[in-house]
Amino acid sequence: MQESGTAKRIPQDLGAGLFLVAVSLIALWQGADLDAGTLREMGPGMLPRGLAGLTGLCGLFVATRPLWSSETQESLAGWSLRGPVLIFGAALFFAYAIRPLGFTVAGPVAIVLAALAGRETRWVEIIVFAIVMTAFCTLLFRVALGLPIPVAPWLLDY
Amino acid sequence: MDTLLANLTLGFSTALSFQNLGLCFVGCLVGTLVGVLPGVGPIATIAMLLPLTFNIDPTGALIMLAGIYYGAQYGGSTTAILLNVPGEATSVVSTIDGHQMARQGRAGIALGLAAIGSFIAGSIATLLIAALASPLTKLALLFGPAEYFSLMVLGLTFAMVLARGSVLKAASMIIVGVLLSTIGTDLETGEDRLTFGISALSDGIDFTVLAMGLFGFAEILRNLENPEARAILTTAIGRLLPSSEDMRKALPSILRGTGLGALLGILPGNGAVLGPFASYSLEKKIAKDPSRFGKGAPEGLAGPESANNAGAQTAFIPLLTLGIPPNAVMALMVGAMTIHGIIPGPQVMTRNPELFWGMIASMWIGNLMLLIINLPLVGMWVRLLQVPYRLMFPAILLFCCIGIYSVNNSPFDVVLTALFGLVGYALHKFGYEPAPLLLGFVLGRLLEEKMRQALVISRGSFATFVERPVSAGLLVVAAVVLVVAVLPAIRKGREKAFQE
Repeated sequence: MQESGTAKRIPQDLGAGLFLVAVSLIALWQGADLDAGTLREMGPGMLPRGLAGLTGLCGLFVATRPLWSSETQESLAGWSLRGPVLIFGAALFFAYAIRPLGFTVAGPVAIVLAALAGRETRWVEIIVFAIVMTAFCTLLFRVALGLPIPVAPWLLDY
Repeated sequence: MDTLLANLTLGFSTALSFQNLGLCFVGCLVGTLVGVLPGVGPIATIAMLLPLTFNIDPTGALIMLAGIYYGAQYGGSTTAILLNVPGEATSVVSTIDGHQMARQGRAGIALGLAAIGSFIAGSIATLLIAALASPLTKLALLFGPAEYFSLMVLGLTFAMVLARGSVLKAASMIIVGVLLSTIGTDLETGEDRLTFGISALSDGIDFTVLAMGLFGFAEILRNLENPEARAILTTAIGRLLPSSEDMRKALPSILRGTGLGALLGILPGNGAVLGPFASYSLEKKIAKDPSRFGKGAPEGLAGPESANNAGAQTAFIPLLTLGIPPNAVMALMVGAMTIHGIIPGPQVMTRNPELFWGMIASMWIGNLMLLIINLPLVGMWVRLLQVPYRLMFPAILLFCCIGIYSVNNSPFDVVLTALFGLVGYALHKFGYEPAPLLLGFVLGRLLEEKMRQALVISRGSFATFVERPVSAGLLVVAAVVLVVAVLPAIRKGREKAFQE
């Protein structure tokens, strides 16, 4: 777990509010070209724009909460990097490998990558587990349930 | 009464078919499993198992998914009693007196009481659903777009007020959820909205993608940060069946809990979570000797457990009659129905009567199964807790990936899910609850559709929402609920209720 010293001093609500403001700005930017129409005949842009505005407003309220709320403030701390990066990586690999390489590659690699996110890595255990899980999932999802998951297109055309 | 009987007969004949019995059993079993395992919630599980139901007929699929939901409520209380670990958020209350009973060597009796209480609650709630379904459905058919809109606003208000933490933050999450639901093709003009130029987003964000990202993936990321606490069962379980003396004492609590839970469960916006808390306070208040509570009072276990189960059951009422999901799990059921081409709402009962009544009947059968099958298996469930999380989370991740990929055979969906996983992790760090977001997302599209329809009918006048009496009434209730919740005095009570 990584904790940076500066993050500890930022109130949680400030970050939380700015997050909403960012979401709002992205939505406003994406919806800028949409026609809002009139109330009588609403266009595609009215609701997204209205909601984005509301989101931004909420964001401002949340961000300034330390100033007007009596509730005790938690600080924004304890973000870890290893878990999110590895779990995201595992899913990303799965997504890009499943079609060209098939489940026999995507499955075990995703498991091993994910397992690296844990506190301790026992290599033998995790490799055996990856193989067993891949076999089990192939049998369950492909063979028994007939879901169209490519298993090993480079080997068997299956 | 005759029609009710005929309907229940139809339901039982559907639910008792060989296939549906099997699916109900599988659902209850899987549900108990995820209920027992902390860190795996019913939302992620149902999302994960959705693809398994593709090849089954919709009735069977929904029977199984419903089984997972109420099975999880049972499983959650098992670990709450034995290990002082609430497997699900709703079983927190059961740890108070339930675990104390276990420490006094009455673990088996506590489990038995919880199960019997839940069964009685489940049976009564099932009857209640059957009885209320027809009148509510008729009422729903009278609803125009304006009424629907206001009803959803009321539901979202409840969701806001009942969420943990600040009302403002819950409101923000609902708004973001509705905003996310506007991504994709516009209903009327067919124009792409907020798609970032990605063609895969034209159909909008798939509901399962959002649910699995915010719950499945983000749960893993959150759990990875907490050191693994291995709970070990130290006490013997002992006799499972409570004596008639125990039962006589607990029965009034069970009935009171059932009533409270059932009532709160019907509320749109996840009222069911309040049931156990409300029941515990009530039992403590009317007890002759309140000091016994917290020291293993059977009433303090039986009441909340019954309330929990009754609420879990009656939460189906708004979904089945009005098509409005009251909480995140029910929102997933909407997703499951849509995948099978069924539009949730009042028309389900007339168009798919076997599905509607079959599901209701299966809930009673499922409760019976849980009672008969699960109690003797308690030892096995507890042993499952020994599976280390370092093996569990890669497996969960893999199941999530396979599940998401199979929904649309789309690798992009897997990427999007992982992205929402990161978003969910950030939301947790910012102190936001993801459940209201999910509910807002599910209701968002319907909300927009009804609002636009209502405004077209009223020629653009917002007054339509307050001029129509039913719609106005619903909005007034929503406003009252909101005002009451932000009043300082009540806010303190609410915080206390969540802390207890």
